[in-house]
Amino acid sequence: MGMQRTIVYDALVHRDRVHGSLYTDPGVFSDEMDRIFHKGWSFVGHTSEVPNIGDFKRRQIGLQPVIITRNPDNEVRLLFNRCTHRGNMICAKESGNTATFVCPYHGWTFGVGGEMRGVPLQNGMGKDFDKSAMGLANVPRMRIYRGFIFASLAAEGPSFDAYLGKARKLLDRACDMSPDGEVDLSAGWLKHRFHANWKMLPENNTDGYHVNVAHASLMRAVNAFSSQAFDEDKGDNSVTRDWGGGHTELDFAARYHQTGRPFQWFGGVPAAKMPDYVARMEQAYGKDLAQQHMIEGPPHAILFPNLFLAELNISFLIPISANEVVQYYTPLLLKGAPEVNARALRQTEGAMGPGSFLLPEDACMAERNQLGLAAQSPEWLDLRRGLEREYMDEKTGLLSSAVSDEITNRSFWKEYLQLMSSFPGAAA
Amino acid sequence: MSMPENEIREIEAFLFLEARLADESRYDEWEALWTEDALYWVPRRADLDPAKEVSHIYDNRQRIGTRIRQLKSGFRYSQTPASPMRRVLSNIEIAPAGADEYEAGANFMLMELAIQSTRNMNFWGGRTLYRLRRVDGGLRMVVKKILLIDADEPIANLSFLI
Ligand code: FES
Ligand SMILES: [Fe+2]
Repeated sequence: MGMQRTIVYDALVHRDRVHGSLYTDPGVFSDEMDRIFHKGWSFVGHTSEVPNIGDFKRRQIGLQPVIITRNPDNEVRLLFNRCTHRGNMICAKESGNTATFVCPYHGWTFGVGGEMRGVPLQNGMGKDFDKSAMGLANVPRMRIYRGFIFASLAAEGPSFDAYLGKARKLLDRACDMSPDGEVDLSAGWLKHRFHANWKMLPENNTDGYHVNVAHASLMRAVNAFSSQAFDEDKGDNSVTRDWGGGHTELDFAARYHQTGRPFQWFGGVPAAKMPDYVARMEQAYGKDLAQQHMIEGPPHAILFPNLFLAELNISFLIPISANEVVQYYTPLLLKGAPEVNARALRQTEGAMGPGSFLLPEDACMAERNQLGLAAQSPEWLDLRRGLEREYMDEKTGLLSSAVSDEITNRSFWKEYLQLMSSFPGAAA
Repeated sequence: MSMPENEIREIEAFLFLEARLADESRYDEWEALWTEDALYWVPRRADLDPAKEVSHIYDNRQRIGTRIRQLKSGFRYSQTPASPMRRVLSNIEIAPAGADEYEAGANFMLMELAIQSTRNMNFWGGRTLYRLRRVDGGLRMVVKKILLIDADEPIANLSFLI
């Protein structure tokens, strides 16, 4: 057996470039699972996925199987999907409603909230067997913000508030698109397999530079795109932003305010086609703020490491290996807005997922990146774009740059390096 | 009610033609098979309600047109070049549905070579449900609903014609 290698991340991640091995090395992947996905905070699911007592949904945190459930006290629980006897993955169904989880191996039985109910032939377990200590294990830390469930598999570490930081506002903006201030992620998830490294997804999802090229076929097939879109030299004043903590945004607000028309983010649907939504928004937020929401739309942003607030879609990723990742997509349904939701479903099918008009190109590009990175030279991926024109935006207090700039990649890698190299035991 | 043998053969021949046009990415000829009230549908579940849940593909006639224009643009990189494909249809069942329509079902197995990126041989399978209509003596496709066995699992790019 060889010695475990210690990878020196400070040598691989620089402000203007990152090393190719970060995408291909299984040792890097293993460190990432430990330091980012298991010890750190990531997105797991949404409370609207388990609306009723007894509902459950399987998920994965990093490489570990978990179950989101709603217990009889109407509380959301996040449990490891592992029988406390000899380890059987106790919940095999993707989702459903149940009173108990019964292990099919030896019959140990647990309530939907994880508490142990019973053990066949319990006498044999000995006098000291304490059922109350043998429930399904809870994920050490879980926090819910406006329905969005985040978790860390470490009992100790940076707080959720420190993790989320200013990016809380991005979740607020998504939720405030609903007149009730609540979103609903119950329309089911499209699951898309990429033979590529997981980091290409958050890097690509707020990359404005690729859109006119990689998605040229959609621009040609539909006329919904303005000719200036994603081109700062032609007057697209959209902004890329660093929200801190690896959270990044492609903010189209300024482009949309050029005409001030609402719903440009929604295929330009005329406001007259959604009169109830407009009325309910004005009622909920007042005319001015409602108008602002309807012009600017929901955010296009990444919450490090795995959540993509994709305008009227929510997307997240589950890493599989250094060369494989699965991306999930669902429409961002808005409570109290049936007119929007009916269109949102069809918009998600058009834009997101393996059969859509957009994401197949992103998957294809990610896979071709992965193939190209097998070449040893050049060693580095270039991240210089916009480095000389980043600026502190007075209005938001955020480091910002032009629409096609790689500030979003740099922000991602800044947080990545922080987590990967400040980890106890990591090489200094 | 049993259908005349020649009618069954005619419908099977239509299904085989549709499959071959899809296999060979003959986009215009494939698009011409559709009626104006078309639905090209790949749900995540057979009983999925499209008013409440999201599907992989839920194309009306207009969106089929967009899909074909995109494929023909020369810039649909996930299908440039088009995936080499062949599918096999079997277990075909056909029933009349109303005066001038038919319902048909067929199991399929499809080998697709992802030649644009990984060069993986993707193996797709399931059952397709068709609704066909007799128009001007010939047959047209009204609904093609593809029930993938792994529709609710992580799947590869589905930008070819399935
Ligand atoms: S492993 Fe679950 S009861 Fe034995
Ligand atoms: Fe893209």
